[in-house]
Amino acid sequence: MAVAVPKEVVKARENYLTEGGLLSWLVTVDHKRIGVMYGLTSLAFMGLAGFEALAMRIQLAQPNNHFLSADLYNQFFTMHGTTMIFLVIMPLGLGFFGNIAMPLQIGARDVAFPRLNALSYWIFLFGALFMYSSFLFGGLPDAGWFGYANLTERFFTPGSREDFWAIGLLILGISSILGALNFFVTIVNMRAPGMTFMRMPIFVWNILVASVLVLVAFPPLTVGLVFLVMDRFLGTHFYSTVAGATPILWQHLFWLFGHPEVYILALPAFGIISEVIPCFSRKPLFGYAAMAYATALIGFISYGVWGHHMFATGMGPIADAAFALSTMAIAIPTGIKVYSWVATLWRGNFVWTTSFLYALAFVVQFTLGGLTGVMHAQPPIDLQQTGSYFIVAHFHYVLGGGSLFAFLAGLYYWWPKMTGRMMNEKLGRINFWLTCIGFNMTFFPMHFLGLGGMPRRIYTYGAGLHWDFWNMFCTIGAFVMATGILFLLIAMVESLTRGPEAPADPWDGRTLEWSIPSPPPVYNFAEIPHVHSKDAFWEMKYGNNPGHKVPEVAAEHEAGHVPHIHVPAPSMFPILLAAGLALCGIGAVAWLRITLVGLLIVYLAIVGIGFEYPTYGEHPSKERGDDIYPLDSRKVGMWTFIGSESLFFASLIGTYMAYKGRDLIGPTAKEILEIPLTSFSTFVLLMSSLLMVLALAGFERGDIKAGRNWLFATAGLGCIFLGGQAYEFNKFYHEGVTLQHNLFGQTFYTLVGFHGLHVLLGVIWLLTLAFASFKDMVPKKRALAVEFGGLYWHFVDIVWIVIFSLVYLMDKVTGA
Amino acid sequence: MSNNPTASPAEPVHAHEEVPRGTIKAYLEVAGVLTVLTILEIWAFYVPSLQPVLIPILLVLSGAKFALVVMFYMHLKYDHLAYTGIFGPLLALAGFIVIALMILIAYFMGSPPTA
Repeated sequence: MAVAVPKEVVKARENYLTEGGLLSWLVTVDHKRIGVMYGLTSLAFMGLAGFEALAMRIQLAQPNNHFLSADLYNQFFTMHGTTMIFLVIMPLGLGFFGNIAMPLQIGARDVAFPRLNALSYWIFLFGALFMYSSFLFGGLPDAGWFGYANLTERFFTPGSREDFWAIGLLILGISSILGALNFFVTIVNMRAPGMTFMRMPIFVWNILVASVLVLVAFPPLTVGLVFLVMDRFLGTHFYSTVAGATPILWQHLFWLFGHPEVYILALPAFGIISEVIPCFSRKPLFGYAAMAYATALIGFISYGVWGHHMFATGMGPIADAAFALSTMAIAIPTGIKVYSWVATLWRGNFVWTTSFLYALAFVVQFTLGGLTGVMHAQPPIDLQQTGSYFIVAHFHYVLGGGSLFAFLAGLYYWWPKMTGRMMNEKLGRINFWLTCIGFNMTFFPMHFLGLGGMPRRIYTYGAGLHWDFWNMFCTIGAFVMATGILFLLIAMVESLTRGPEAPADPWDGRTLEWSIPSPPPVYNFAEIPHVHSKDAFWEMKYGNNPGHKVPEVAAEHEAGHVPHIHVPAPSMFPILLAAGLALCGIGAVAWLRITLVGLLIVYLAIVGIGFEYPTYGEHPSKERGDDIYPLDSRKVGMWTFIGSESLFFASLIGTYMAYKGRDLIGPTAKEILEIPLTSFSTFVLLMSSLLMVLALAGFERGDIKAGRNWLFATAGLGCIFLGGQAYEFNKFYHEGVTLQHNLFGQTFYTLVGFHGLHVLLGVIWLLTLAFASFKDMVPKKRALAVEFGGLYWHFVDIVWIVIFSLVYLMDKVTGA
Repeated sequence: MSNNPTASPAEPVHAHEEVPRGTIKAYLEVAGVLTVLTILEIWAFYVPSLQPVLIPILLVLSGAKFALVVMFYMHLKYDHLAYTGIFGPLLALAGFIVIALMILIAYFMGSPPTA
């Protein structure tokens, strides 16, 4: 019968926290543990960013101060922004809360790709440590978290600080994309039976849209960073006017990422608030459908508003008007959310928990930040304020008073589920009031300072400008806020050491995570729940009779009642792969041979992951019980990856097209490209796709030998294509077109070179499969492993189809 | 409406079914069409009278090649529509990026210099 768990303390025989020793955390693939690791790491970095912020506030407390040098101030303000965005708010929203709550809310036993989840975390950790390790090599990065070109060029920022920043962000980007891909596939494909999209908890909706945004926003940033790294290491001029390029390209690529990023940071926060407010108002969420659509609409519009960060660059009246309109438009779905929260609160029967207090503060503070955001949608106003402290106030109200407060609400809300302990509400209230008062003391006066003309990004200011008082006030506020955060740490430690045990459902919750013990067992759900309504657990508890509660204990979780449940085995490969990737980064800034070692480790770890699980390459089966989901998660993941990669190539192609014909010196595309040779290469690659499908067909019908031979033939054609490319590059090089020579040279080599790199990876992939088939590792039943390699191979083929037309054929005609 | 919050995972909501794929013959035919389209591209490129309309011709021909590979070799034609639903919007966004970068940078930088 029912297994609903209301107030009784029901313990799982062994929960996710207690199973295994400390070392087991290094190889864990359990989403809850990974969530905890994300949380702890982010908290540590929040401490670091907080330290940097306090040091900056001391420096600005009075005029002409010398607490920090200009150089150190620049380092701190760069790393404070970078840390808070990439190492705190983003990993807290997606990595921590996404892992802790999302799979439980959709009734899943884990995420779609548990090892990929662990890999995302380890890459995140190593990427963060890599970036901060620049401290040991001459100082922290100091060109701002936005890294505006051409300040970041080696001429203006010599040394290795920005190298660490750029390569560190590239590494972190890989982590973000893998994590988002995992969440996307999990939500799309692994919801409990009956949980339609319009029955999903609203938090899950927000994680879904945020994940999509990561997948579409990070590729342009990756390309921007690749250009920056090439400028710094290889002497190209992607952002330099000396070769006819423009630094504005960086701003477009960066803000194409940067504004969706704001919503990547905000959407998980919206989701948390949309769970906390109904729970503690004792009402269902007002306008669920409108909220869900608003979430999707925010995601959609957020991809078209990046230009409002660039009004001051002089994009022109048409672009300004378009971005102003889209920016104002995004206020509508955001306003729907605020309206919905307020309507949910209306006549609610409030339970004044710390979580609820944080949620209320969020609504007020985020709305304030949102309103000043609408102000900046208007170019004339933005021009006046964009370089001032008014903007600092604005984005801290959105991301600090908004996202961070929501995360604190979420932390108090899910803490009992996560740890099995209740938090001390008294300490929680002290934490809340100090943090809230301190936050508003720190950031509200910055509106005045900005309107009073105080510029951003200055390390000191002169006396007599009437900025002294409010700056001192802000600094005092920052320390009040820091004291508040200290109480959060005290409350956490107190709860873990002396807190009362938490029941499974301490808040009388509405979603599925409250139906299982606190902390959850490793397998989450003894049986996958069936969902019949959007507040699934509420409906299970109360049905259609709100007055009649049906308290029943989850006896199944106690010893002897749990059937054997397969959970993913731990794996050492994720941490190994991430370490290899970090070695690649270290090699790039220190000694290139280390990169080769890193690449070898990465390859071996990928092969390890590929062949590790006993069911790799097999179709889901009824016997194993893994066929309950509508699609093959691996295939969904592969298509999502291919889609995201398309955006990477689109950014490269867009740059090529934008710079086409702007060379200050020749030779240009028209003079040098050789159509007959490339036509032959194109034909070779197209035919390789035919051989690839023949290889797959061979494996699918069990003719392994034929399949293997076709695989070798496909890889062979790939090698011929690469040989043609090498010949072409060599010829161009000897004709004077080097990577540094002109805009055509750098954009051409980069675009075509990256495609060639993908072909090379494809060849390695196919050869690995072919050789593995000698060992009977790719039998008929594992043909899916070949299909995934094939999808990747065809992808490089379709990219080439585009490149051949746009770069070779059209350029020959239209190029200058 | 049931009060039972759980159900056995052995009750599949959607069964995984083997989808019939293209035959070898179909794959060979597609390869033939791809070859012909590539030849057409190169032919159009070398015909002077087609130069004014070369760009739309190339866009159509390369679009057709792209679609053929995606539909037949990548099996989107045969597989669940959801995969098309995932790839399609992302591809549209990719096109948006290319066009947006071209327009915005071109507008900002003005006309290209004459070589």
